[in-house]
Amino acid sequence: MSYVEVPLTRLALVALLVAIAALVSRRARLDLEGSIAWAAVRGAVQLLAVGYALRLLFAYEHVLSLALALSVMTLVAAWTAARRVEHAPDRRALFWPALAAITAGGVVSLVPVFALVITPTPWYSGRYVIPIAGMMLSNAMNVVALTLERIFASARAEAPRIEQLLALGASPEQALHAQERAALRAAMTPTLNGLFTVGLVALPGMMTGQIVSGIDPKSAVRYQLVVLFQLVAVAAVAGWVAATLSRRMLFTSREQLRPF
Amino acid sequence: MGESEDARGVRSLSARGLGLAREGRNVLDGVDFAIEAGAIACIEGPSGCGKSTLLRVLATLLEPTAGEVYLEGVAAHAIAPRTFRRRVAYVPQQAPMLEGTVADNVAAGPRLRGAQPTPTRVEQCLALVGLDGAFAARPASELSGGERQRVALARALANEPEFLLLDEPTAALDTRAAERILERVRALAREGLGLVVVTHEPTHAAALGARRRTMHAGRLREGEG
Ligand SMILES: Nc1ncnc2c1ncn2[C@@H]1O[C@H](COP(=O)(O)OP(=O)(O)OP(=O)(O)O)[C@@H](O)[C@H]1O
Ligand SMILES: [Mg+2]
Repeated sequence: MSYVEVPLTRLALVALLVAIAALVSRRARLDLEGSIAWAAVRGAVQLLAVGYALRLLFAYEHVLSLALALSVMTLVAAWTAARRVEHAPDRRALFWPALAAITAGGVVSLVPVFALVITPTPWYSGRYVIPIAGMMLSNAMNVVALTLERIFASARAEAPRIEQLLALGASPEQALHAQERAALRAAMTPTLNGLFTVGLVALPGMMTGQIVSGIDPKSAVRYQLVVLFQLVAVAAVAGWVAATLSRRMLFTSREQLRPF
Repeated sequence: MGESEDARGVRSLSARGLGLAREGRNVLDGVDFAIEAGAIACIEGPSGCGKSTLLRVLATLLEPTAGEVYLEGVAAHAIAPRTFRRRVAYVPQQAPMLEGTVADNVAAGPRLRGAQPTPTRVEQCLALVGLDGAFAARPASELSGGERQRVALARALANEPEFLLLDEPTAALDTRAAERILERVRALAREGLGLVVVTHEPTHAAALGARRRTMHAGRLREGEG
């Protein structure tokens, strides 16, 4: 089967599509031209750089280089998730809980799969681990940001109710249960919806990529299922760890709701 | 103060030198306070003087920046927060209702500890605040302001506390209903409950036969302002 390359010159042609979006923005006075241009440039630079980095990584396959790549990805995911949370008792303290939650989600979703299901040789084969880990970490990042933001925002809005529960003798866990539950459910919904509608409207990214590069759809579907199930696990674990750690930020050691 | 009373074996809730600094201002400023079981103390004072803040500190829901709260002479810091709060109940100014029925609300405290109060027990608690047993099945979200206030009181009593901190318990009630609540509160004190009642209404202290204290800009004084 043949594979159609995209030459750089033609890639430049696609930039016109972004120009169309910028024109629309100007016509409709959305005032987004600047953002569109910046997003396009940044996206292009990031992806091209990543392309080269991956090439390098695959050429010199080594446990350490893989570990380094995974660490950088995890750190950036944690940093981004922490930055997206606007309501928090202490915004500067968000990085470590986010890192812990994303790492936990990543470990739970990746280790069993690469130990038992997708077993490339060598096992630290970047071609397999990096893309799949990337999907897990970015889902964990979204779930953690959503969970934390929602828990903190609702804890603030519903502070009198939480304090009432504490006054009745509730533990912080009991007092925050309703907010935690709502936040976790909301954070997991996009992942679950992804499973419900998969294939009906859009084909998921991984499968699309494999089909375009010539893999039999039957095999591509299997990979995709693995990934979708992993995404459910990563969402649940990362969200749950984030929610648990958010409690430490919201309550003092004397089980008081921190004013914020 | 606290120790001498405890030496005589009388239960007491007290505080010494309470201070709370917020944004460079002293919301509480060297507050000394003590009340014995079976007594009622009224705290009066203008809006914003720190009455609600004092109650929240006494309930250990707010950490003071100076001083300490004592229960039977034991520093609050030496008592597990949940134990302390079961023994010292607090009903805020506008007590929020929890999910479910009135019965769910009244049973909330014991349920948090894994206990399940019987319907009879729930009715008993409602009776203490002058609410009919038929109230138990009403959804809490539908209640009027005055009904909420009474359910909140019943909910606090379901934990069988030794002290009860009430923040303007009659604010949402008409004169007649307020009088009835004050009567109930007085009866609770006769049964040995220690009560701290924040009120705007100068006649309440007399109606409760309570010791009056007045707050002013974070300072607490004996007698009226
Ligand atoms: N979290 C907070 N941060 C900053 N200031 C606060 C906070 N909570 C209360 N205050 C301030 O502390 C002061 C005392 O408030 P508090 O609610 O105790 O007054 P109060 O005597 O109960 O008034 P009211 O009779 O109106 O209920 C007020 O000036 C209030 O604005
Ligand atoms: Mg008040």
